[in-house]
Amino acid sequence: MYNLIRVEFFKLRKNRSFWTLLFAISVLSLVYPMLYYFDHRSSGEPQFTGAQFLLTFISSNAYVIKFGVAVLAGFFISNEYSTGVMKTIASSGNTRGRLFAAKLIVFAVGAMAISLVFPIVSTVEVSLLSGFGQLPEGSSVLFLSRVLGLTLLYTAGYAAIGALFTVIFTDSGKTIGFSMIFFLMIDMALAAVGSKISFFATLYDYSIFKLVGDIGKPSIDSGDLPALLLVPLLTFVVVGMLGILVFRRKEIK
Amino acid sequence: MQEYVLKTNQISKKFKGHTALDKVNLSIRKGSIYGFIGQNGAGKSTLIRMVTGLAFPTEGMIELFGASDEWALIQARKRIGSMIESPALFPHMTASENLEANRILRGIPGRDCVPRMLEQVGLQEAGKKKAKNFSLGMKQRLGLAIALLGDPEFLILDEPTNGLDPMGVIEMRELLKRLNRELGITIMISSHILSELHLMASHYGIIHRGVLLEQLTARELNDKCQQYVFIKVDNPDMATAVIQNELGTADFEVMQDGAIKLYSCIEQPGKLSSLLFSAGLEIEKFMPMGEDLETYFTKRIGGNSHV
Repeated sequence: MYNLIRVEFFKLRKNRSFWTLLFAISVLSLVYPMLYYFDHRSSGEPQFTGAQFLLTFISSNAYVIKFGVAVLAGFFISNEYSTGVMKTIASSGNTRGRLFAAKLIVFAVGAMAISLVFPIVSTVEVSLLSGFGQLPEGSSVLFLSRVLGLTLLYTAGYAAIGALFTVIFTDSGKTIGFSMIFFLMIDMALAAVGSKISFFATLYDYSIFKLVGDIGKPSIDSGDLPALLLVPLLTFVVVGMLGILVFRRKEIK
Repeated sequence: MQEYVLKTNQISKKFKGHTALDKVNLSIRKGSIYGFIGQNGAGKSTLIRMVTGLAFPTEGMIELFGASDEWALIQARKRIGSMIESPALFPHMTASENLEANRILRGIPGRDCVPRMLEQVGLQEAGKKKAKNFSLGMKQRLGLAIALLGDPEFLILDEPTNGLDPMGVIEMRELLKRLNRELGITIMISSHILSELHLMASHYGIIHRGVLLEQLTARELNDKCQQYVFIKVDNPDMATAVIQNELGTADFEVMQDGAIKLYSCIEQPGKLSSLLFSAGLEIEKFMPMGEDLETYFTKRIGGNSHV
């Protein structure tokens, strides 16, 4: 297993799409606050502080996570089917379960790295321009670490879903396209079905798709915290196991 | 007792009503070079994919190095090197990086095997070149280098000479023969270039429409390949009359250009040439010949089909 994880990290390090994504999101993360900065400066409005910017825009990071997971799933995992590399990997004398688990772990780490770019780069930039400021009253001192920690957890949950799609579609284009559509539409779909069938409403309330919006809440009730922590973890484990099951039965062409 | 690296027992593969493989019993002896012959779609790649764990049999059993249960089979695959259908490469990585990735994957200690493998396949100068910039022949060589990583005991190669130039084909053949001879690596090789296979294989398996028609050794093949005398004379009609009257046989074939293939009474070519000469015929060509693997294969599958 150690070798499998090592080789996945080696491949991630050499993956141009991964670095391109990191670079592109870094540039956007630098440009986005600058637009507000110059806009506020010309209109005379008070500037965002780092803390205010983070609180206001952390929910937008969900789009970065979804986009990052979809693109990386396509170019990091699905691409191996089209290049034929998956044949070498699958015939290397390792169980399919281990192969998928190693891929999922490293893919999740790659997606996590992407997910941290926007909150960190933007917040640091805004703090440098206008100072970090104060977190709102009631926010815990651990707010920052909680936001970043939950971002990582939820990204892992999304990564598990993305990895499952790669095994199903085995094609970069299909994986990216379907993942994007799925991640963007699932909220609406679950909310719509949930309005008719209460089970789906509950399912949506306790899904990563809904709870990802709570990452940036200044304060979280102690009763809500277990769900906020457990849902992404369970998603990662359950969807990861589903991915292993599908991959074990998959014939590689 | 013969030791086998691979045995399949009544292995079948069905896809939505189509039988790709039908109860195949194939066996490959340790130390042999097994030429696996069949037309496109005959089932060669399907069988190879099942042996390497990429596909699963509908029925039957695979025995690899004596292991047949699921876990033992997975472990046994660590002793295999393979290149299936096309070389599996990371296009954005250099040749060395491709080998390095596979070295880590297989848990091979030490990086010294990377330059050694590049040298073995003649790519020592191209280690820093990206695989996407390689010619097809270079990709084939790199694919072979990857398959050879970890010194496998059994090498499975599907069309390894695709895209190689004539010198490349010869080099590949010599390399495979050397690996077999010096390191004792058992090789299973499927190729459309039957003349090439004929120069290296010690055993053959002929598969047609999912059915393994025959397995035979190179010696058995040579024995089975029909021998004949190729005769070209100025008057084919008179020659055939001489053969029929003097030798009492009609076991011959007259080709479109008037050349005659005589299949009987070929043990005494001297007597035959004297008879033709005595009849006043001018002999342009007179050669004892045998069928090649291609002709044998075509006859065996029953038609003029192409491999």
